[in-house]
Amino acid sequence: MSQKFIRNFFITSGLLLLLCTLTVVVFDPFFQYHKPLPGLKAVLTDKEYQCTGSLKTFDYDSVIAGSSVAENYNNGWFDQNFGCKSIKAIRSYGATADLCYLLDIAFAHKELKYVFYNLDPSALSADPETTYALTGCPMYLYDDNYMNDVEYWLNKDVLMEKIPYLIANSFMGDYDENESYNWAQWKEFNSDMVLGLYIRKPSVSEMKPENYYEELLHANLNLLTAQIKAHPETEFYIFIPPYSMMWWDNIYREGDTDAYLYNMEKAMETLLGFENVTLSYFQNDREVITNLENYMDILHFSPDINLYICESLKKGTHQVTKDNYMESLKDMRSLADEIVNKLIKPYEDKIKVDLYDH
Amino acid sequence: MLFNSYIFIFIFLPLTLIGWYALNYVRAYEPAKFFLAGMSLWFYGYFNIYYLAVIIASILANYLLSFLLKFSHTALTRRIGLLVGLAINLGLLFYFKYYDFFFENINAIFHANFNLKHILLPLGISFFTFQQLSFIIDRCTQKAPHYSFADYITFVTFFPQLIAGPIVLHDEMIPQFDDLSNRRFSSDNFAKGIVLFTIGLGKKVLLADTLAIPVNFGFEQTAFLDTPSTLLVILAYTFEIYFDFSGYSDMAIGLGKMFNIEIPVNFNSPYKACSVKELWQRWHMTLSRFFIQYVYIPLGGSRKGKFGTIFNTFVVFFLSGLWHGANWTYVAWGTMQGLLVIWDNLGIVGVKGSNEKVPSRFTIPRWLGWAFTFSFFNLSLFFFRSDSMANAFQMFKNIFAFKETGYLFKIAAKLDIPEFYLAKQMINLTNPELLSYAYAALFILLLIISAMILTRKNAVQIVNEHPLNSRLCLFITVIFVWSVISFSQVSTFIYFNF
Repeated sequence: MSQKFIRNFFITSGLLLLLCTLTVVVFDPFFQYHKPLPGLKAVLTDKEYQCTGSLKTFDYDSVIAGSSVAENYNNGWFDQNFGCKSIKAIRSYGATADLCYLLDIAFAHKELKYVFYNLDPSALSADPETTYALTGCPMYLYDDNYMNDVEYWLNKDVLMEKIPYLIANSFMGDYDENESYNWAQWKEFNSDMVLGLYIRKPSVSEMKPENYYEELLHANLNLLTAQIKAHPETEFYIFIPPYSMMWWDNIYREGDTDAYLYNMEKAMETLLGFENVTLSYFQNDREVITNLENYMDILHFSPDINLYICESLKKGTHQVTKDNYMESLKDMRSLADEIVNKLIKPYEDKIKVDLYDH
Repeated sequence: MLFNSYIFIFIFLPLTLIGWYALNYVRAYEPAKFFLAGMSLWFYGYFNIYYLAVIIASILANYLLSFLLKFSHTALTRRIGLLVGLAINLGLLFYFKYYDFFFENINAIFHANFNLKHILLPLGISFFTFQQLSFIIDRCTQKAPHYSFADYITFVTFFPQLIAGPIVLHDEMIPQFDDLSNRRFSSDNFAKGIVLFTIGLGKKVLLADTLAIPVNFGFEQTAFLDTPSTLLVILAYTFEIYFDFSGYSDMAIGLGKMFNIEIPVNFNSPYKACSVKELWQRWHMTLSRFFIQYVYIPLGGSRKGKFGTIFNTFVVFFLSGLWHGANWTYVAWGTMQGLLVIWDNLGIVGVKGSNEKVPSRFTIPRWLGWAFTFSFFNLSLFFFRSDSMANAFQMFKNIFAFKETGYLFKIAAKLDIPEFYLAKQMINLTNPELLSYAYAALFILLLIISAMILTRKNAVQIVNEHPLNSRLCLFITVIFVWSVISFSQVSTFIYFNF
């Protein structure tokens, strides 16, 4: 009797576990093994779980790489403006090492026409090491080891939640595949939101020296330029997004303004040395950054601004060149000064103050 | 390595079983022991290689002492050996587990400024230290022989009981490893091992880990809880801790059975107990056995009169509390248990039909004894689970505040488990206002299911009494598969800033 028990246990549980595995592999909601099955949509809502898979298996020839501010782009805008088929490579915080890691995956699987690269100022002084493992990302989806994919195959959340979600969004509702990872629909963009979320440091720290982040800057620029050099056939549209004037107030109080502007100057100087780079600078767009109705916090802007950036990239309205980049930065410097000395004043009564700042 | 992990179930366990039985099949009995010990050390050092150095050093030191005791022919040298053994084992435990706690208190009392070390506690150090301590004490009292190194290292490191017990004794384990009839595969034992392991796995993964979700949130929010949420959180924790710990013990016993090794029972339906004393005869039984054998009896047990017995009982429970963790909350918890056991020992009030040698002056119905015991243990767990005494008292305050703020719904909403996903979506589509009530109902349902399971036979009883038929096989298979697919989760990355 016990032998029969053991045999039945192993056969039945083996079959059930195999069934679970097959279900996951067939539907593959993280797109590790194949693109969506015919009839199913590419439902992309969990970037930590889906970015790597979609970069490996989808059909595309261009990548929109960036941090959370890049999530609200509609891929279709780029496709129409640039005549390409784009996909997003998103990483929270947008650290250079993380984005380059995603670009490596993309280049390993596709030949790319364009890389639309959202370069956040903070990425220039971020740690030049990838942060996926550190932040608890599912590393079994970030390597090519099929053995550890067991965590994906035999996963209750995938079976009971992610697959039904994929099916439901494919057949019900109006999920737009171009709006991958988009979060704007759940947020409000207005000055009340910005003023409600900005906790201002009451003291002003001593301004750090310009070259404060020099080492990190070089390491990050090396990572990015390595990608550019390795893929001369790919056109890199690199753009610096427009953060709100509150962000400039914040970095002024942290003593970072000089160092951040210096970083940007060095980054521009380096990146403009490549023929396959088109650089656009949106930070000094006065109309955008001084209008808090465009934002939900000090840096996340509305999808209207995303559309504006995409169209500007096409038109070249914010493009900087070797000849004019210093002028743009000079303009930004004077705008930054104007923000902290004048433009921020009308809001000071409404801004919350960090009581724990010493 | 955790029992509830893919690597353990799909790689480590099959490899170890195959290696063990294959070596024994070719009569390589000594290599089989070293193989088992080697695999157990891999199991132990899987997460942190540094842990491995600690356990190996501890094994070598104790084994060397045991060896030296071979040359000890006088009571004095044996006593010296005992002192050295106590110093090695308790010193190791003190250094890794109690150093910071001790000096924190010294600093607080004497306004001193000793630096704390913040040492990483090696996994299961309390278990393997007590296991070896019992051996050394027995060696010094001439109750244990000097074993071969293969025997000793297999006994200490045997992976099923290595990191969370049960606390096994040399004289119940080593003879089993040496018994060659245990080296042949037994389908009966293997099948029973599967049943026990799977029931334990289900208790841990499906029940304890799910109950832990509202419990963890509740204990993070002690200041905000109202009366109903506090009561339900502690009730959930009472179930969680039992399912977690007894589940682990069931898995250990089941794994032992797969190797034809009988590991002692550690939990015998403790929540069915009708007195606190009885609860402690059913809860973490191998720890109680250790304390009775190596602390209570050497102190004089019940042979030193009434006050001596009270004192000895108190010492045992004080130490038991401290053994559970280096925090005054554990000491308070252990002390409370001790005081109630002492009260039960006084024989003033007893429950009807109890098997106490001396009848009590007053008797109460069994249900009343059970209700009191369960409620007491429940409330005492405020101390066990809280990070600080202040938090524990806050939880008591919450109960007696007699207020209801609807916080229960907030706690229940944390139960966002995938099993509930489709129901949640349907409610969201039809009547979203009902969702918070649905979560509350789910929380209460989980508690009811837990309570119902506790009234049934425990895992060991099921294995001993239930035939290995198709119905049991189907049940065990479903629990096994459900548990395995619960090992891995998809996390939500709540991020919104750079």
